[in-house]
Amino acid sequence: MPTRLDGDDMIIRPKDVIKLLGIVIMCACAVLVCTLFLNSNIDMERIKDQITDPEIMMIYDLTVSSSNLTCAVTSGALGLTTAVMLLFYVKHYIDTHKPELGILKALGYSNWKIAKGFWVFGLSVLTGTAIGFGLAFALMPMFYREQVNDGIMPDVSIHFNPILLVYLVILPAFVFSLMAVLYSYRKLKRPALELIRGSNKAKIRKTKTTGKTKTDVLFLRELEQSTLRSRFSLVFFVWFAAFCYAATVVMSFSISEIGASDMMAVMMAGIGVVLAVTTLFLAVTTVIKGNAKTIAMLRIFGYSDRECSGAILSGYRPVTYIGFALGTAYQHGLMKLMMFLFFDNSVLGLPEYRFDMQAFIVALVSFVVIYELFMLVYARRIKRVSLKEVMMEE
Amino acid sequence: MIEVLEASKTYGSGESATVALKGVSLKINDGDFTVLLGASGSGKSTLLYIVSGLECPDRGSVNYDGVDITALRDDKLTVFRKEKVGFIFQQYYLLPNLNVDKNVKMGADLTGNRNYHEIIEAVGLGKKLDKMPSELSGGEQQRVSIARALAKKPQVLFLDEPTGALDEETGRQVLDYICTLQKEIGFSVVMVTHNSNIAEMANTVVKMNSGKITETYLNEIRKNAHEIGW
Repeated sequence: MPTRLDGDDMIIRPKDVIKLLGIVIMCACAVLVCTLFLNSNIDMERIKDQITDPEIMMIYDLTVSSSNLTCAVTSGALGLTTAVMLLFYVKHYIDTHKPELGILKALGYSNWKIAKGFWVFGLSVLTGTAIGFGLAFALMPMFYREQVNDGIMPDVSIHFNPILLVYLVILPAFVFSLMAVLYSYRKLKRPALELIRGSNKAKIRKTKTTGKTKTDVLFLRELEQSTLRSRFSLVFFVWFAAFCYAATVVMSFSISEIGASDMMAVMMAGIGVVLAVTTLFLAVTTVIKGNAKTIAMLRIFGYSDRECSGAILSGYRPVTYIGFALGTAYQHGLMKLMMFLFFDNSVLGLPEYRFDMQAFIVALVSFVVIYELFMLVYARRIKRVSLKEVMMEE
Repeated sequence: MIEVLEASKTYGSGESATVALKGVSLKINDGDFTVLLGASGSGKSTLLYIVSGLECPDRGSVNYDGVDITALRDDKLTVFRKEKVGFIFQQYYLLPNLNVDKNVKMGADLTGNRNYHEIIEAVGLGKKLDKMPSELSGGEQQRVSIARALAKKPQVLFLDEPTGALDEETGRQVLDYICTLQKEIGFSVVMVTHNSNIAEMANTVVKMNSGKITETYLNEIRKNAHEIGW
């Protein structure tokens, strides 16, 4: 059933909400990790008083600290990306529904009244956090067992800690809903007529050609650069997908090498792959949809399918591989830091951390295959864009 | 010469099928200014898209100097569009993130035309190279789309209601540019319009109704854009 945003003609349809799948997945991943670690921390705290051996107390402190760090890194990175993604979708929704929103304003709806309807974007966060929370409790027995078997935590029973439900499920949904409302309110502060006409004068990005114009630079190259410049948020998402993939997949191998449980390694790699693929899917789909008119016109004028896909998608390739390189460097730095801060002692008898070249090569090859397959699939999708469809949408 | 033979087109199927063209045949000579005239739903735009190779008819053929473009593979059809035809639409369809210079360059680069600034000058936009489409009036945007289409030096220029979104004065100005450039360069023009006054500018007028050609006639005297009614 469609959710009414406001006014008789203004609704957010299920297909609009489906676009928020990336947010759902990202929130689910973040809350899954945080719930597992924080719940085990709280449960372990119940038996803290019983620990008398200083060596075991040290292991306890290390476990709690590394869990907190994992939660901070995961929730920080994913939370920030969720925020960027949510704001991107609110903006995208407003941009693609300008005439309808303009008519509502013209009819007398206040900015605040329209903006209030945008709270529904926060539902995607609630869905994601609830899924992540539920999934965490489903996996909790296995997680505890693995941790106990690996000697990382003592044998404790699982408790449901309601405080986590508040902090990890309800509060984020409330904060992100509020963020969507406030951001949309800000974006709606434009004259109704400007919205109805769909003009966007504030977003003009000029490229100077005064005097000597660059006739020697090929048009397709200029289009490639302008496509990148026009949607910086999409550049960030594509970059993030590669960064995330490299960081998590390479790290999953690394933590496995230094004695972390297989479950944790698989979970980390799985989250990385799902996040990267989802983010890439959403970003590239938006690139294609946002450039449908341009693609249609290029094809009508006689540019080949290869030239069209090159002009629209090729610009993202360097960004992607830079993201991958930085993601690898980031995980290396983080591992070094964690080993230095928490495990730099001989008491635990852990092997020394070294950069795993084999893991890097596996991650790189698998990423190249996934990314280039994506590009191939979307290049085919570009072939199907026709002017007729574009005209029908207007 | 362009020759359309018994072209038919139906959209949809079953009860919701709409017959857009019913066995239409037509000849367009090189250098002609042909107007496809008709009311909304008469099939004129469908015929334009079929003649220009943007759409394939269900039956019939479209021959350019003896080559049937309906039989061409997609990549060959792309080459055909690149080398032979130019398009101007009612909604302009300029690339919003590129300025005037680069929008026109889109057409020019296809045929390696490095002197494309001449055509920008010819449509009176020489001083607006840096302007983005959103900074231009409707008439100026349509002039950019004229320059973009002509910068690739097409043999045939297809126009779909080019003045449909413009006021009278701007519409006349745009038509004037098209006629002047056609006389200077010598390309053929095929224009779709519902405005019978504009048809007075053409050599050949093809009247359409319900997917059929109802009348074809030649204008002995072609009027210019400032002589026609509106």
